[in-house]
Amino acid sequence: MKFEKKLAKTKQQIPTASLPDIVFMLLLFFMVTTTLREHDVKVQYRLPEARAIEKIENKRVVSYIWVGRDGRMQIDDNIVTVDQVQRIMYNKRVDLPTIIVSLRIDKTSKMGLVTDIQQELRKAYCLRINYSSIKKM
Amino acid sequence: MPQIRKKKTPEAEIPTSSMADIAFLLLLFFLVATTIDVDTGIGLTLPEFVPPEEQIQAEISKDRLATLLINENGDILLSDEVVTLAQIGEKLKVRIRSKIDLPNNKKLIVSVKTDSKTNYNLYIQALDQVKESYFEVREEYSFQKYGRKVINLDEEQSIDVKERIPIIISIAEPEVVK
Repeated sequence: MKFEKKLAKTKQQIPTASLPDIVFMLLLFFMVTTTLREHDVKVQYRLPEARAIEKIENKRVVSYIWVGRDGRMQIDDNIVTVDQVQRIMYNKRVDLPTIIVSLRIDKTSKMGLVTDIQQELRKAYCLRINYSSIKKM
Repeated sequence: MPQIRKKKTPEAEIPTSSMADIAFLLLLFFLVATTIDVDTGIGLTLPEFVPPEEQIQAEISKDRLATLLINENGDILLSDEVVTLAQIGEKLKVRIRSKIDLPNNKKLIVSVKTDSKTNYNLYIQALDQVKESYFEVREEYSFQKYGRKVINLDEEQSIDVKERIPIIISIAEPEVVK
């Protein structure tokens, strides 16, 4: 008796014709929901934790000031000193009147520095600020 | 007679098998080059800068003012009373609640003042306590009056809640070091 191998009549391939469409859809999703990484952060910092925090919905009006644990301060891609803050931030505010300044300050910093930055921001009329912090669990 | 053969038509399709690879490459690029993280934190509006010569001292009754002093050792003083970090919320909530029905110019003002050597983390913790107690009182008020949470209120109601319990946090003017 002859044994014959039964072959399935259906095709053995997964149709890949729609794969590009699926991937493009994913791509579009990511392009819409995310924003480009703009800054290269050069200072090391760990944010404080807090419970009563709010989200900043509009990322495009946010400008950051980083303060590292060694006390160095960064705006955009430059390390700056406190006396430069006023000029830089004033120029930013002229371009973008609704600016929100988000302070990403290391939690071991001293308040003296924070107060100095705040005074400079007040002189530059950047009055809306945000103490960036992580949600406490 | 030579046979006339029909010319074989070349395949008129663009090969699409590599399309997926290209799209994946693009996708990967965007995954790497973008950020999703939303900035979270404690929002605050600073007062306008007034040069020291032009500053006017405004009298505020003690009843209205809650002063929060934090020194470099981490001691906290709330309206001349030494408290711990966790007590700030409870003490403030009582005072905020008692002022819900008062007119706008009698609402509580929380004034935060720190030393220049105070730890930043401690300042944020204290500010967080203040904000949280405000949010909790708002939540209570909204539940009592409208029977729902603050986020579910319509626009008119949420304006009412914000007007009844405004968050007024004042960052004390730094003193001139002599």
